[in-house]
Amino acid sequence: MAEIATPELLPGTIQEQEGKSKAELEPGYLVICWNDPVNYMQYVTHVFQKVFGWPKKKAEFHMLQVHEQGKSILARESLEKAEHYVHQLQKHSLHATMERDE
Amino acid sequence: MRLIQQAGEHCEFELSSREKALLQQVLSLYPQIPPGYQPLSKTADAQDPNQRLLDEAMNETRAHSAKAVQNLLADPNRLSRSESEWRLRLSSAELDWLLQVLNDVRVGSWVRLGSPEKPLEALTAENAVHYWALEIAGYFQGGFLEVFDG
Repeated sequence: MAEIATPELLPGTIQEQEGKSKAELEPGYLVICWNDPVNYMQYVTHVFQKVFGWPKKKAEFHMLQVHEQGKSILARESLEKAEHYVHQLQKHSLHATMERDE
Repeated sequence: MRLIQQAGEHCEFELSSREKALLQQVLSLYPQIPPGYQPLSKTADAQDPNQRLLDEAMNETRAHSAKAVQNLLADPNRLSRSESEWRLRLSSAELDWLLQVLNDVRVGSWVRLGSPEKPLEALTAENAVHYWALEIAGYFQGGFLEVFDG
């Protein structure tokens, strides 16, 4: 049986967390994908699967929400993670933004 | 173009000589999305430090991909002749990356056409090249996306 490793926190990790404001760490940002008439539905599904690691059914659900309702909220994350997801989606040329969850 | 083999992390497509030439032409147009086109949020302005970081990251990604496109087209292990056809061999990562590049050309061409909501009513000397790129990039995207149908 494999041993259970004791979690280790590197000194830098704690410092980095302490250096961030509460707002940056809270999941207060929405990652939104907006509809456009140019991206293929199949491609959007593929990108959602890849970026979020979702199964095809969940990715298709959000793709259809974008298509039919004009947008879909894909995630609610901290500032840093939301930026990461928006960057990944925009790298694939999807119309994605992050908005403050008011 | 058709998918002829898919095994593990690799796939292989067969292209006619005409398709190979079109793929090379359309990839040579990359990148098409204008710099700073994609806002980080609906309310962000261009001077927002996070927006600037995102723009820089996108520019780096595009510069890297532009070089990789040139390398791919010149690599005989990726694109080789087989009798009268051409074979394009790609790993899953390369396929995903190629889809990104083609989608940049497709979306960027659409942006350059004025982001129309409906199909174009008339071809002009100004919009023909963008319309051509939009359609040809879409043709190859459709072929490559076959891999994910199974």
